[in-house]
Formats: sequence, C-alpha cells, structure tokens
Amino acid sequence: MPIAEPLMETLAERRHLALAGGGEDKLQARHAKGLLGARERLVALFDPNTFMEWGLHADHDCHGFGLEGKSFPGDGVVTGVGYINGRPAAAFSQDFTVCGGSLGRIHSKKICDLMDYAMKAGMPIIGINDSGGARIQEGDDSLSGYGQVFFRNVQASGLVPQVSVIAGPCAGGAAYSPALTDFVIMTKQNSNMFICGPDVIKAATGQSVTMDEIGSAAAHASISGNIHFMAESDAQALELTRKLLSFLPANNIADAPHHLTPALDLAPDPVLNEILPADPKSPFDVLKVIARLVDGGDFLEVQRDWAKNLVVGFGRIQGVVCGIVANQPLVKAGTLDIDSSDKGARFIRTCNVYSIPIVTLVDIPGFMPGLAQERGGIIRHGAKMLFAYAAATAPKLTVILRKAYGGAYLAMCSADMGADMVYAWPTAEIAVMGAEGAVKILFKREIAGATDPKAKEGELVAMYREKFSSPFEAARKGFITDVIEPAQTRAVLAMALRNTLSKRETRPPKKHGNIPL
Amino acid sequence: MRNLRVTVDGKAYNVLVEIDDDGFAPPRAAVAAVAAPLPPIPAPAPAVERPAPPAVTAGSGSVVSPLPGKVVSIDVKLGDAVAEGAQVATLEAMKMNTFVTAPRAGKVVEIHAQPGDAVEEGAPLVTLG
Repeated sequence: MPIAEPLMETLAERRHLALAGGGEDKLQARHAKGLLGARERLVALFDPNTFMEWGLHADHDCHGFGLEGKSFPGDGVVTGVGYINGRPAAAFSQDFTVCGGSLGRIHSKKICDLMDYAMKAGMPIIGINDSGGARIQEGDDSLSGYGQVFFRNVQASGLVPQVSVIAGPCAGGAAYSPALTDFVIMTKQNSNMFICGPDVIKAATGQSVTMDEIGSAAAHASISGNIHFMAESDAQALELTRKLLSFLPANNIADAPHHLTPALDLAPDPVLNEILPADPKSPFDVLKVIARLVDGGDFLEVQRDWAKNLVVGFGRIQGVVCGIVANQPLVKAGTLDIDSSDKGARFIRTCNVYSIPIVTLVDIPGFMPGLAQERGGIIRHGAKMLFAYAAATAPKLTVILRKAYGGAYLAMCSADMGADMVYAWPTAEIAVMGAEGAVKILFKREIAGATDPKAKEGELVAMYREKFSSPFEAARKGFITDVIEPAQTRAVLAMALRNTLSKRETRPPKKHGNIPL
Repeated sequence: MRNLRVTVDGKAYNVLVEIDDDGFAPPRAAVAAVAAPLPPIPAPAPAVERPAPPAVTAGSGSVVSPLPGKVVSIDVKLGDAVAEGAQVATLEAMKMNTFVTAPRAGKVVEIHAQPGDAVEEGAPLVTLG
C-alpha cells in the first residue's frame, strides 16, 4: 500500500520550513556580506553529497518571554555526520539567521547528542561557531547547555580530534568551548572572540579598547595565541579544517593517516649541506630546512604568527605523518620564552594523544633571559616543554642542527627526555654553556695565576670549544644515535620514522601527570 | 626591630636594630632594582592589522628591540625610505645575531640607538615616519 499522500506533503512542507532556517532574505543578506549559511558551511566542509543531518525538526523549548508559539527551525544549529576526504566526521554549525544562533536547551542537546555519538564512533568533531551567545529567555537552561558542551569537550579531548571554526561572534562563556578543543580556526571578517567586550571593559575598568584589539582573528593569531589558524573567508576556514584533518587520525586508537609507499627514496639532498650560514652567529630560516624534509614541501604550520621563535606544524616524511617542532633562529635568536614554551608543549601533547611521531629540530642558544621572562614565570612555562616531551610516548626523533645549550638542550627532546633517536649534524654544538663562560668558572685559578691571563683564557676557551663545539663528545658518551651529513637527513628520518611506527611504550598507570600550568 | 649578630675584630655581638624606615632599606640602587614597579611588558612588534590606527598611538612608528641585547649595527640612515620587512638593525644576544625588520614601510625619522648600546626588550631602535 502506498503511503498516504497528505503524510508525504506534510513531510515535504516541514522539511522545507526547517531547511529555510531564518528565511531566504536573511540568507541573502549573509551572501551579500560574503558569508555562507550554516548548512552551506557544512556542505563545503564535507565531501559532496555525504552530509546527513540530525535533528532537522528540532525546535526550541521555551515557554516564556513571548517565545511561546514562535518557531526556531533546528533551534539555531545544524548538526550531523558526513565524510571528509573519505573519512567520517561529525559537525555542528550554528545558524545565525535563527534567533541569532543563540544557544538554548534544545540547541545544546543537539550538539551534545552529536558529540556523544562521535565519541562512541571514534570520529572527529568539528564545531562551526556563529552565535550571539546564550538565549537569555531560557535562563539557566541556556547556561546548563554551555556547561554540558564544555563537559563533553573535555571528555572528548584526547579521544577524538576536535576542531573549532569561529565564523561569527563567539563571546563570553561561549569562547570556552573552542578553547577546550584541539584546534581553533578563525575567519578574518565577521568573527570576533572575547570574554569581556569593549563596553564591559569600559564600564568595569574605564579602559578604552577596540574590538579589533581584543577580539579579532589577527589579535588572537599573533598576540593572545588563542587560535591556531586565521582564514580569509568561510570557504578557506573549511578548507583548512579538511587539510588539518588530513594529518590527524580519526581517534586516539586509530593510526594517523600515513601514506606509506612500498619503497623509500634514500637519495641525499645536497642542498641541506649548504643551508647553514658560515658564521655560527648568523640566523637562518628553519622553515627552509623543514620545506626540504617534508614531502612536496607541504608543511601545515600551526600558530604561525604567534611565538614565532618556535615553529610547530604537520607534514609527512616519505608518507609518515609527523609533528615538527623547530627552533627558529630568525626570531629572538631561537630562544625558548614563555609563549614559545606554551606553544611547543601544547603541540607536543596534541601529537602525543594521537600517537603522531614528533620530529624536533634543534638550534637553541638557551632560554630567553630577561626580567619580564623571569617574573612572568619562565621556570613554570619552560617546564611544560620538559614535561610534555618526557611524558610523550609517541615516537620522538631529534635532529640537532646547530646550538644545543644547557637546559634548553634538554627541553628540546634530548636523549634524556626519552627521544628514541637523536641525530646531529656535524655543525652541532652540545654543551652545558658557552665556552667563554665555562672557562671562566672551570679555570678561574689557572687564568688568575698565569703570567698572561688573557692569553691563557683564550687558549682554554679554544680548548673547551674544540671539545664541545662538535657533536662527537656527546656521541662518545651515547647521547647521540648518529652524526649524519645534513644531506642524509630526510632519508635517515624516513627510515627512522618507519622504524618507530610499531613503537609501544607503556608507563605505570595513574590518573594523569601533573603538568605545571 | 631586627636582631642582628655583628662580629667586630673576631668578637661577636648580638644587637637589636630598630628600623626607622617602612621596610628594610638596602642601598638606593638596590631599592630601584628590587622595589621598582614592574616595567610594562612592551607590546610585541605590531603584527596586528588594524583597519584604522587608534587616535593615541604613542610610538606607533617605532621599530622596537624584540629581545634584550647589544646593538651591533643600525642598518639604515636618517631619511632612508624603508620597505616593509627591510632590515633596520642588527642586535646580538645569546651569541646570536638577530635582524630587526621594519613592521611597515616608512621613512626613518629618528634613530634611538647606536652600535654598542645595550637595549631592553621593547626599546625603540628607530622611528619610522
């Protein structure tokens, strides 16, 4: 028996109303501003024709303040599952055309249901944020909704990758959900993210600030470090999401999406032999080294504009996905400071939860000296690097390109921090401190007692430098796996990475370590 | 009041010292070092793009030192027109040279540091007009 015609008509009508969201005119207004609608964003995110919507017929559940009898299609959020580069993923997209994308009880329930499923199914969660904030009319139901999303963000952390796209306002408490996820991508236009806006700041403290100063993508990308990527447009933000997920496994048990080839190319790259400047004092751009190590020069740099003295990002080395952590001698002499320690430690832990091998490229003269650093707690922040590396059980490979001095050498994944393999270029200098300082302490008496103290000091400095300005003293003691020709680096790393893929390291069970924060 | 043990010519005396001042008063220079209010942490090189510069932009044309160090050279002259990203100074810190570049294009209207000067993080090196 065919299904009754009126039922079909009702279905079609209901679908039509729900899919219209806030209405055609509001959608057109967004298009005029160069913005995509909530559903259009999901269509752009997923592979063609793979998005399956959940909760299309959901509506709000508020019985006061004049909302009774009103309809909010989908309750202001579109949720569902689809495929990204052929792999399943869950996503929600807040619909600003419906009640300003405000978060009420049903809105948050839709997000929570989706997150619960994604955790069970072991698939990434992508959240596209574009919301005016809490739905005031729903009072503490709305507040509870945020709390439930936050709670699930934390449960999902380290289980499935979570990516937040900020494509509109994301204010107050709402900003904490993205902050709890693994990666935040923000569009340059239309979006802002802050806890207290300019009006509140003015009223509470008298300070005058602009929205651009506190909440823009540029401010977060370069000053606060709250976001990982800045996108020109909605479309680019979603393309970046797809690209980012192409380096991440579906969950903490699955392997990262390596593209293993049956044979490895072990040809040397002679350019690397000439990439360092002749003067060890001269900086060089470590991105040029990275570009020659990763497949096709394809390196997705994370937090590119913040704490630029440390470069972090994803690439593949002969098919094996790896996270690269590298000192950048061009900026602040490549030292580790507060921000770069936070950036590095966070990235190392992101790699570790998804068992992505970590490749560390070292050229570091030390921790950044200065009053602001000491008072700002460089001890506590720098300790995060040590903690993150030592706690990481993902494969850890280190290449010492040039300077590796003192505590900073340890903080860049030395053998003692559990590196599986440490390679050094012949230009590597591994020492507890610079030659001049060391000699003054070690040979204080000899220098003072010499007939020509200056000459004696110079002689001792040269002796000390000869001993420690090469990797062989460290290699002799077993701190270095091998000293390699720079040209061999890509081939050696490719071999080593293949080798580490079967690594399984278990530690004594405990609730969790206590990383200094 | 503070109990102090003072040794004079090998003989120890226990003395009780009353301190007039508000707190323990080390020599003047040390006061400055210990009790000086935190210097404001300078904003990092202006990487933020602002659609319109705010009305009050003290030193917005300043190219500042990214880290404490010694000036090796100022690589521009008064009146030079520099492009965005052009090298304006070389510093030495941590036995490394750091090149300081112009955050935007402009004309050099003032030079604040000379080779050999020690500069703090955030100290202006040159001003672009």
